[in-house]
Amino acid sequence: MVSDETDVLPLVLPRPSIRERLRTPSGKLFVSVGIVFLVMTVVLLVFSVWWPNATLPATASDTEEAVRLTMLVFAISAAPVMAVVWAVGYFSLRHWGHGGETPPEDGPPIRGNNRVTVAWLVVSSVLTGFLLVWGLSELTSTTTLSTSSSPIVIKVTGQQWLWSFSYPQNGDISSPDLVLPIDKPVVFDVTSTDVIHSFWLPEMGIKVDANPSVTSSITTTPNLLGTFNVRCAELCGLNHSYMETTATVMTAADFDAWVRSQGGTPTTATTTEAGNG
Amino acid sequence: MAEATLVRAETVPSPGGGGIMRRLNMFTGIIVGVIVAVAAYKIGQHFWVENDQGNDQAVIAGEVGWVFGFLIGVGAFVAPVRWMLGRDLTHEDEMFLAGKDQGISRYFRFTTDHKVVGTQYLVLAMTTFGVGGILAMTIRTQLIVPGNSLLGGQAYNAIVGVHGIIMIVSTIIMVVGPWGNFVMPLMIGARDMAFPRINALSFWTLFPAIPIFLSIAAFGGIPTGWVAYAPLSDQAPPGIDAFAVAIILFVISAALASVNIIVTAMTMRARGMTWNRTPIFVVGIVASSLLGLIALPCFEVAMTFTLLDRSMGASFFVPDQGGSQWLYANLFWLMGHPEVYVILIPGLAAVLEMAPVFSRKPLFGARLAVISLIALVVLSILVWAHHMFVSGWAPTLAGPFMLSTELISIPTGVFFLVLIGTIWRGSVWTRLPMLFVYGFLWNFMIGGVTGIFLSDVPADNELHGALFVTAHFHYTLLGGAMIGAMGALVYWFPKMTGRMLNERVGTVAFWTVMIGFNIAFMAMFADGLAGMPRRVANYQPEFALGNFITTIGAYIIGIGMLTFLYAIVSSWRSGKPAGPNPWHAKTLEWFVPSPPPLENFEVLPVVTGDPYGYGEPDTRHTTHAGAPPLVDAVLVPAGPESTSEASS
Repeated sequence: MVSDETDVLPLVLPRPSIRERLRTPSGKLFVSVGIVFLVMTVVLLVFSVWWPNATLPATASDTEEAVRLTMLVFAISAAPVMAVVWAVGYFSLRHWGHGGETPPEDGPPIRGNNRVTVAWLVVSSVLTGFLLVWGLSELTSTTTLSTSSSPIVIKVTGQQWLWSFSYPQNGDISSPDLVLPIDKPVVFDVTSTDVIHSFWLPEMGIKVDANPSVTSSITTTPNLLGTFNVRCAELCGLNHSYMETTATVMTAADFDAWVRSQGGTPTTATTTEAGNG
Repeated sequence: MAEATLVRAETVPSPGGGGIMRRLNMFTGIIVGVIVAVAAYKIGQHFWVENDQGNDQAVIAGEVGWVFGFLIGVGAFVAPVRWMLGRDLTHEDEMFLAGKDQGISRYFRFTTDHKVVGTQYLVLAMTTFGVGGILAMTIRTQLIVPGNSLLGGQAYNAIVGVHGIIMIVSTIIMVVGPWGNFVMPLMIGARDMAFPRINALSFWTLFPAIPIFLSIAAFGGIPTGWVAYAPLSDQAPPGIDAFAVAIILFVISAALASVNIIVTAMTMRARGMTWNRTPIFVVGIVASSLLGLIALPCFEVAMTFTLLDRSMGASFFVPDQGGSQWLYANLFWLMGHPEVYVILIPGLAAVLEMAPVFSRKPLFGARLAVISLIALVVLSILVWAHHMFVSGWAPTLAGPFMLSTELISIPTGVFFLVLIGTIWRGSVWTRLPMLFVYGFLWNFMIGGVTGIFLSDVPADNELHGALFVTAHFHYTLLGGAMIGAMGALVYWFPKMTGRMLNERVGTVAFWTVMIGFNIAFMAMFADGLAGMPRRVANYQPEFALGNFITTIGAYIIGIGMLTFLYAIVSSWRSGKPAGPNPWHAKTLEWFVPSPPPLENFEVLPVVTGDPYGYGEPDTRHTTHAGAPPLVDAVLVPAGPESTSEASS
């Protein structure tokens, strides 16, 4: 069995020029599929830039900014891959539309092509390697705190079916909804009193499960003023659908005022005291 | 019908007569099963005290009683019992068990013929898809507008969970069950599976699991979704006991079927059928069965532990008593990720089998495709923790699991190369199965690309548990594997029934399903990106438009599926006669009459080349008597082939 026969040309002695090769039926097919490929790539690129922007919610933290950038980069790298598969798959035919009782004449017996195969494997490996390196560096940057700033620690507790937040650095005040100062790193220590919940701030791009008997930590820095969503992302029983509250990001001064109104001791605006959670 | 018999022509009259054996069927199974179930439940109630949600132990006893009662009643233990009594089955008995000359009633018996088992699996899978589909429509109806009060929280959660597990079970069996049993032995030139009785047992073990899945509703439902996460499963009503028993039963059935398929494909291939000459579909079925055999028992272990936790006071998954919810999650996903490849690979393999036939070209890079199948099997065992990126378990392992998960895109990508390489410059015969190949190429590309987003840990932190994930796996499993499986149904329907599927109706169904599917799940991607969680019965108004579109799309899918069902039922009753080889394909199953006779091949075929020699005058798959002569292999068959079933 011949496994790497090049279908384009038999091995004749003088190698034809590229222009001549493009005039063969195979070459013409190559050109037309190439044009379809380019058009599809452009369409997919436009779509992958426009669509997430049209659907995604506000970006309210540095983590979410990194996630958005990642999604954009991934979408852009995926566009040509999708385009090549669809272009070749749907437009590379010698004949289309033969639907009779008997099949059309057999196509060329191409059982493989080593150059194409190797190129495919190399490109997909390189793409995978790029995605991996990108993802790992992004993972490191979004999960490690900058040492310069002292984070505010918030203890998040999930129970069926509500969230509660307590602020150990601010006199252990607690609240049913989340209040955060802007531009200040936050460490969420997340736990649960009954079953598994999942603490999710969609606009801030962070999520971690609230496990009973375990505390999991996750960090981010909110950077947009406003009121955002807090949701439960793990099915936790009867009223899972309603296990949501709000996260309000306010200025440091407002945050201190809020802490005072709850009977706690404000630390954010005034000190840089390190509070190790 | 073939007159040649397997063992001996003259039969000795059975000393016991086999009178009882010949009277057992599905209905006696159901009767005995219900009697034993009620008795076991009553005994359970007598011995165990009811808690506030029900009597777990009694429910478990009742469900297990149903299973054993059913298996006894259907005749699963007839052969071993007679063997133990020293009255082994005669040849006549074996022929009776194989369903010889029994007409339609053999489909309701413990029949050992692989073709009967395959047909049973097909009908069962279509039935369970119907149930799962109705549940899906119910879910989408609840979500058509925010604040809909059609379903309460408990009912909604139960429906979500049962939809999930019913669809998982259906998709696992949808290709391997019907075509792994019906077509695979034909494809490799065998007269039956290696273990025909185990084959029947695998089906009749799965069958009683379906009523148990449905009984979940009667025992308070499951609040956990199909993942049945502990510790939520510990506080759940006895519905979860039913769920666990059904899963254990399903895994036993799948293990029996897998072993049988693997042994059959390993040992019973026709003379001359080396692995290089084995059809890619057979390789795919074996790969999927092997993977299922490795992966699915983890689910059985997890469910057994859950039952022990719930009914015997064990604490495998109870965190405050020394157990761990992460133990459950690990066991579950050790099954859960390989399982999606157990679903995908057979559908993919069917697509790879159909692409050369309808492109009239050899399979491109066949050896590479086999290597990639093996790579998928190996890698898919090593990626389970990407389902636990946000679980808090072992954050240091995020990097390694991101690596293994992204590596799997390389072998997956190879299948796109194989497909488009096969189609490249082909002269496509646009019959219905080819449309499903194209549908697969479209949907699975989208499913695969969105999977890359989920493999990236920071992006997964945003998207995990959101509808984005739901849309992604529907694109791979429904849009990919199931479109492939529907294509396989169209492709092998003539072999199973002897009739062609109505292509006009089938084409309408194809486009309806494809359009509805892409509408529904594109909108679901948008909702997921916008931050809507999975498995919620209610949502905020900002997701209203996306959900409305998804629901409309889901209804369109439903209409398409009903159309497809109509095409199947009407064609099965009165379709155009197919003849042995309507697709002019070269694999062995097309060289026997449609439907094939009891023992498939009168003379066992000898294989001399691989089955993809389109356009190659010198390649010839078989010397079987029904095979076209060497010259005709390259020409368009001119005259009408002999379509008579009795021709061989």
